[in-house]
Amino acid sequence: MNQTLFLIPLFPLIGFLLNGLFLGRLNKKLISLIACGSVGLSFIVGLKMFFQLISLPENTRAIEEILFTWIPSGEFVVSFGYLFDPLSAIMVLVVSGVGFLIHVYSVGYMHDDPGYGRYFTYLNLFIFAMLTLVLANNYLLMFVGWEGVGLCSYLLIGFWFEKKSASDAGKKAFIVNRIGDFGFILGLFIIFWNVRSLDYNEVFVRAPEVFALGGGLITAATLLLFLGATGKSAQIPLYVWLPDAMEGPTPVSALIHAATMVTAGVYMIARSNVLFMLAPSTMTVVAIVGIATALLAATIALAQNDIKRVLAYSTISQLGYMFTACGVAAFAAGIFHLMTHAFFKALLFLGSGSVIHALAGQQDMRYMGGLKRHMKTTYVTFFIATLAIAGIPGLSGFFSKDEILWKAFSSNQGSIWIWLVALFTALMTAFYMFRLVFLTFYGQERMDHHTKEHLHESPKMMTVPLSILAVLSIIGGYVGIPHILGGGNQFEKFLEPVMKGVHHGGEEHALASSGHSAGTELTLMFGSVALILVSIYLSYYLYVKNVALVGRLRNSVSGIHKIIYGKFFIDELYNAIIIRPLVGGSLFLWKIVDVVLIDGVLNGLAILIGDVSLGARKMQSGQLRRYATVFLAGVVIIIGYFALR
Amino acid sequence: MTDQNWSILIPEIFLFIWALFIFGLDLGIKRKNPKILGYSAMAGLTITGILLAIFNGGILFKGMFQSDQLAIFFKVIFIGSAFMAVGSSFDIASEKIRHHRGEYYGLILFSTVGMMFLSSASELITLYIGMELTTIPLYVLAAFYKDDKLSVEAGLKYLIVGAFSSAILLYGLSLLYGLTGTTDIVTMKINLSLVFLSYGKIGPGLILAMIMVIAGIGFKLALVPFHMWAPDVYQGAPTPITAFLSVGSKAAGVVAFARIFVNGLIAFASDVMKPLDWGIIVAILAAAAMILGNITALRQRNIKRMLAYSSIAQIGYVMVGMVAASELGIASVGYYMFIYLFANMGAFTIATIFNDKTGSDGIISYSGLSKTSPIFAAYMSIFLLSLAGIPPLGGFAAKYLVFAAGIQAGYTWLVIVALLTSVVSLYYYANIIKTMYFSAEEPTIKIHPSFPANLVLLISVIGIILFGIFPGPILDWALESAKIFAF
Amino acid sequence: MVPMPHYLILSALLFAIGAAGVILSRNLLIMFMSIEVMLNAANLAIITFSRFLNVMDGHVFVFLVMAIAAAEAAVGLAMIITIFRNRGTIDADKFNLMKW
Repeated sequence: MNQTLFLIPLFPLIGFLLNGLFLGRLNKKLISLIACGSVGLSFIVGLKMFFQLISLPENTRAIEEILFTWIPSGEFVVSFGYLFDPLSAIMVLVVSGVGFLIHVYSVGYMHDDPGYGRYFTYLNLFIFAMLTLVLANNYLLMFVGWEGVGLCSYLLIGFWFEKKSASDAGKKAFIVNRIGDFGFILGLFIIFWNVRSLDYNEVFVRAPEVFALGGGLITAATLLLFLGATGKSAQIPLYVWLPDAMEGPTPVSALIHAATMVTAGVYMIARSNVLFMLAPSTMTVVAIVGIATALLAATIALAQNDIKRVLAYSTISQLGYMFTACGVAAFAAGIFHLMTHAFFKALLFLGSGSVIHALAGQQDMRYMGGLKRHMKTTYVTFFIATLAIAGIPGLSGFFSKDEILWKAFSSNQGSIWIWLVALFTALMTAFYMFRLVFLTFYGQERMDHHTKEHLHESPKMMTVPLSILAVLSIIGGYVGIPHILGGGNQFEKFLEPVMKGVHHGGEEHALASSGHSAGTELTLMFGSVALILVSIYLSYYLYVKNVALVGRLRNSVSGIHKIIYGKFFIDELYNAIIIRPLVGGSLFLWKIVDVVLIDGVLNGLAILIGDVSLGARKMQSGQLRRYATVFLAGVVIIIGYFALR
Repeated sequence: MTDQNWSILIPEIFLFIWALFIFGLDLGIKRKNPKILGYSAMAGLTITGILLAIFNGGILFKGMFQSDQLAIFFKVIFIGSAFMAVGSSFDIASEKIRHHRGEYYGLILFSTVGMMFLSSASELITLYIGMELTTIPLYVLAAFYKDDKLSVEAGLKYLIVGAFSSAILLYGLSLLYGLTGTTDIVTMKINLSLVFLSYGKIGPGLILAMIMVIAGIGFKLALVPFHMWAPDVYQGAPTPITAFLSVGSKAAGVVAFARIFVNGLIAFASDVMKPLDWGIIVAILAAAAMILGNITALRQRNIKRMLAYSSIAQIGYVMVGMVAASELGIASVGYYMFIYLFANMGAFTIATIFNDKTGSDGIISYSGLSKTSPIFAAYMSIFLLSLAGIPPLGGFAAKYLVFAAGIQAGYTWLVIVALLTSVVSLYYYANIIKTMYFSAEEPTIKIHPSFPANLVLLISVIGIILFGIFPGPILDWALESAKIFAF
Repeated sequence: MVPMPHYLILSALLFAIGAAGVILSRNLLIMFMSIEVMLNAANLAIITFSRFLNVMDGHVFVFLVMAIAAAEAAVGLAMIITIFRNRGTIDADKFNLMKW
């Protein structure tokens, strides 16, 4: 068998090593060539493997390559291997494809930054770690990638580390993620303890035998895994780091904090679907946390003025959607939304980056407006992405979002309440996204005179990726047209071999069992589209037609506005109930327990050992005869030992 | 497997001829060009490595010379350590040993040939000769700075104690030969089992022989109490030679020990013999080495002397795996030596470069190195942390495996001692890092190593990190090589 | 024929005398000669065993040991000359520049 799978993560690794070793010594052209080229090559190999995969018969679609035994230590044997099945194929293509576009975009965006080489070094390392995460054939290797992307995220958020807010945001992301990672690794311990393996193949085959359905152990394990996912994918209660992460360069926000890394949690849950299906109570938790996050983040997004923060909350909200899908056992729908979201959210971030670029770093929407006239390409592509995220029929977001809404309504694990909240969130999404578009691209130019003079469309290096992503945002959904519209949902079928936990035997069967007719599905679909259109009109009315009304409205509900604008003061709450007591406690531990007690004992011990050390040195007199004597004495003493026994 | 497979000797023969060629080359170029000799020595070692990969697996001279997996594994370590020692010698070669470069490199290669013979020896005569072939060139190399009082004193001390121990070893071997009636290690193992089966015990003469052999090989390992020469010799000898002594020569002792004790005298380790087996003796010596080495290293001010005590302690850890006398035990010893090769050679290479630049070996003169030469300070930190056994570096996996083997074999108390002393060791390793990074003194020294030294450092760092995170390949190989003992 | 233990006792005595010589003498040359005595004690033991076991490999062993001892002596004497030039003495107790 020819092994080519390992090439996929190898190329970015080589790129990272080249750029890292010669940091700052290469010229910019070469750096960008290495960085973009390596990711591009990964994408090409990924594509080749993808076609190889779909040429295989449906139920054997998995290519596994075990490179070597990684940790052979007694019972704990972990191999270092890659697994390419439908799920990882999609992830690889999204990561390397979108990653490649963002690399190209970054060449234009970061052009004048002094840390150019460092930036691409980190970016390549990130791609390598992310590909390792999605290609791993066991949980431990996935965890390595998981930690790797966390590290890169930390480095890139704090990329402009001279800025205190940036380095603080980096630290916050890192610490919050640690909490999640702790849960993740505990979950892995439980799995290994019971299954005696961390290999996907073995775990998923043996888990149903080892764990009782709905038992305490599997519930604990999956809840802990989910805690890991909430950290990485910014869900309640660990979502607070993501909005701050916008301190990083905008392409980083697009790549890491919208398209790829933050979706790792969704990927992990979809990958572990067998385990999660064994724990129905965890599934309920996942669904509720997902939908609550979606609602909360959408609400906060309504009132933000910073363009990137709106997008950040929107990302959290959309991730909530994906988790909701997973929670109602519609893992394929979650991954579907993950993919379309990667396209349009990356596009939104890159578009906002283009806007910020044109406005010389201005991120506040109150000082934008009227950009439609100055930045044609950016405007058009941005508008397409907004239509997609709002769920307008014909664009990618419509198919994936509708799939989730329908599954929330119809699936065995779903309920009408989840559907209602999800629909409401979708309306808010349409509203705040169009608010963003209207504030940025329509109306009067509100920036100062000097900036206005210099308004310009971004260079080709940036607009070409935008256009490609726009095309993807439109057509990306056609791989998963639902049955009801005559599509046969190819996407879900493609993923079926991976979703071993879901035993429904096809869509028709599910429909029959849950007792919903095709009519219901169509009604709900058209109803929600109509409501979304209303919501968009409302946004248009408030932010374009009748701008004065907004101010009055805001004043009349100023209390609520303040709470929403202040993001429900969650950060402050965490600060008061967790961070302060923790700091106080650790101060006590440090000043009293550590310094007085432990240091006292340890220092005493150290001084004692030091004195012994001085004494021991004296044995070494430097005289040859002493050395020979000790040598012989050693022999004699050992003989004596034997003689006396 | 044929009995007369001469081709397996090709790597040794080639290296021997190459060493002679280097002697001649030095005369040919009229001792002018300082670099060409070093590069040709490195080339010779590389070719030997390639030859080793081609010609291996077989026995020669009716089993006196055996090219099995264990031998190959350790030969790679010897060639690696010689390669690194040569690589770090370029700077001293251009200055301090101007008149005898050919002899210097040639003798390193001769000693390597000796080690390679030693690791292939499955018989006492070959073993003894291999050991002397290893040591005699090293006597000369230790005293190579003829006009330096310290170096000559180091050579002399090494020579006297070495010859003394060699005599004791030989006497032990003579008793072994006489009482078992053979010099072949496998036959010896069979004969001893027969003796053991018929009498239920082993006589005092054999125990005396065993103790003398422990002492003789203990000298090469610098195992307490046969270690007294080590700090002085390490301090006085040229630093690359110190590095070679501490890795290559030590690994040679390790493989000789494994051959004689884990294979030939394994009957001494059986449960019936307890507490009169060699395991308990070596365990006590290992514990003593870890305690004494680590504690004495605490208050050293000279980096080479500190590393000498540290390497005394390190051999204690290796012996933990050795006394386990199991497949995992031997494999862990092999893995440990492999990582130790990178970490110790790396640390000594930095010491060499530093000494060339400043003429000082004092730990205090490393103050603020991180500011002037951040890369080398980082390298040094990695080497030291690996020696201390901090994850994810190779030293951690090595210690973990050795300890696992120890516990598996029931030497829990020994592992506890090892754990406690490795905590102590962290103190003096971290002390150097502290000096490099957090010293208030204004640094003045910037080090610029030659290309080969840079190469050595890079290989070491990559080896430590790579094989620390992915111990699999090396460990698999070590496990494979441990299989030859057929436990 | 002289019985085997006699040879072995002689060899042990020689070995003990040699070891005592290394430990007690301060003169480098005498130390070195004592080591040669120890090596020859071992040789005597080997040749005894070889003779009484009626196998020849002991003879081979002894020849090789003699060759090695010669090499060692050559290096050793050269080293003693070097240190005499360097320090002007061959008193072993004087060489303690490196200690502790």
